[in-house]
Amino acid sequence: MIVEQIIAASITLTTPILLAAMGGLINRQGGIVNIALDAKMLAGAFIAVIVSAATGSWFLAILVAAIGGAAIGYLFSLVITRAGANMIVAGLGLNVFVAGVLGFILNWFYDSSGTLRLADVVLLPRFLPEWTANIPVVGLALSELEPLTVFAWVSVFALPFLLANTRAGLRLRATGNAPQVARAMGVAEKSVQDASTAFAGFYSGLGGAHLALASIGLFNEGLTAGRGFIALAAFYFGRDKPVATALVCLLFGLLDATQIRMQTAGLPPKLIGTIPYLMVLVALCFAGWRRMKAKEAAS
Amino acid sequence: MLEARQDRGVAFSALLERSIGLAFPFAVALVVASLILLVIGENPIDVFALMVAESFGTERRIAATLSAATPLLFTGVATAICFRSGAFNVGVEGAFVIGGLCGAFVGFTLPASFGYSLIPLAFIFAAAVSAAWLFVPGYLLAHYEVDEVVSTLMLNFVAFGITGYLVNGPLLSEISGNNVTPLVHDAAQLPRLLPPSTLHAGFLVGLVVVIAYGFWARRTPSGFEGALVGFNQRFSQAVGISIPSTIILVMVISGIVSGLGGASHALGQLHRFADGFSPGYGFTGMAVALLGRNNEIGILLGAILFGALASAGTTVQLFSDIPLDIVNIIEGTVMIFAVVELGRLSLLRRRRP
Repeated sequence: MIVEQIIAASITLTTPILLAAMGGLINRQGGIVNIALDAKMLAGAFIAVIVSAATGSWFLAILVAAIGGAAIGYLFSLVITRAGANMIVAGLGLNVFVAGVLGFILNWFYDSSGTLRLADVVLLPRFLPEWTANIPVVGLALSELEPLTVFAWVSVFALPFLLANTRAGLRLRATGNAPQVARAMGVAEKSVQDASTAFAGFYSGLGGAHLALASIGLFNEGLTAGRGFIALAAFYFGRDKPVATALVCLLFGLLDATQIRMQTAGLPPKLIGTIPYLMVLVALCFAGWRRMKAKEAAS
Repeated sequence: MLEARQDRGVAFSALLERSIGLAFPFAVALVVASLILLVIGENPIDVFALMVAESFGTERRIAATLSAATPLLFTGVATAICFRSGAFNVGVEGAFVIGGLCGAFVGFTLPASFGYSLIPLAFIFAAAVSAAWLFVPGYLLAHYEVDEVVSTLMLNFVAFGITGYLVNGPLLSEISGNNVTPLVHDAAQLPRLLPPSTLHAGFLVGLVVVIAYGFWARRTPSGFEGALVGFNQRFSQAVGISIPSTIILVMVISGIVSGLGGASHALGQLHRFADGFSPGYGFTGMAVALLGRNNEIGILLGAILFGALASAGTTVQLFSDIPLDIVNIIEGTVMIFAVVELGRLSLLRRRRP
């Protein structure tokens, strides 16, 4: 029973991080470290709640959230690629800016500080038949499965193929990993980067929509709780490889799902919350150490 | 003679460049804010006039502005020290929070009989711990080429986690309830300069830090080496500057300054450590350093500017219903456009010898 609940909760909690991480890793393959995933998730969540309440359609809600995220990402990318802004500073700035704009809208138009509760918010549908809940171990998780989770995992397995075998994938990787080659091939690097940042925005917007519409059906200023940065940690740890990154996301989702239980076992949740970040630090150190070893061996 | 005039020309264009660099991001931010205010049917000029009056109008308001600028003096300098050497340290926020906790910890754990010596002890302890905190990413960058942006960013969240745990657990105040440590002893509190305003002696410490930074950057060999490493690593190496030790040095100094800032905020402003100790002073400090182009006077002006925004924002919300979030919008816009290279700016730069 407990195992079933943990599995179901882990999968649900993984999805938003996973979506944002997939967007972020594509972006990084194109040579842009996107530190503003969190902003786009927050915007996606906000848009999703409003559209869902206004139209009664969950599909329109996530679509508009994704497009909104992509639009923010594209504009953000223009500032970096065309105006030469520093991607880290501008990314941190975008996080502050988006939080400010959303807070402003909430405050002014909805007369609320921090939380947006609307009537008639349509949540993401559970589409598998009810009897799946009776399947042992994974039954609960199956019965709670919604389209965005399926989409996220389909992306995980589609992306490696797309990156390796399509023209767009090749150009993207050339832009990020071998700019000289990209230039020689005549790739419009800046446009490729803009597209990859819009892609990251699209996926982060979906991630935000999932946060808002998977179960709670409302928007809160602290809704993302730094998940955009967890996603960043995930693709750094997974070295920009979709499947490896997805496994890391799953681990972070599991940590998130078991946090409350670990608390009753006497482990403070705040300290457990630092594990993803510490893992990345360790992974970075290890990678650096190996690089140095290789260098020493070569010289 | 001719040389002197050329020098003056260069100095002038550098000055022009700096002032445009300072003004441009802020101008964009004001345009963005004006558009938003127009959308909600407010007159932007009235609002900005009110904000200026609320931040500089009376002695009390000026004191409030300087009080809000105090933490930014520290975080601005801490950021600038690293940026000018090309170390992209975004971990000032975490080091500031750690310093705040350490400063407060000394202030309420040591016996009150230590008297006024509590203050220097708290500052020293905070600076030491924060220095050690940023030494780690500095060392990793210098010796293992570990990307400092990611490592310092991750360390921020570790700092939030650790401090959040401590104020909710072992260091939780027994009398005040949630998420705060006990108050520091009276003797450990920094004196207020202009009561009833919260402006405290930490502001003076911040000024000293800014001046010391300017002196270090311009007048000392290690400050010069730091700038050189940021300017051209290969050249620095060729003239015999150790890049690893320079990087570690600037990260450690950045940690010391962040720690002093945290301690000053804890002992002067809050008189304790609390959850949510810093509403992003470290990140605003980045905006300050960028806006001030790592220059000590620029940092001072930038800190006062953002201090003014923060202190005016609160009262503007009270008087005119305009949400405080307008301040975040302005700050975010400044950060996004802070390092944008304008065609004009690069022209000026190219003309430089």
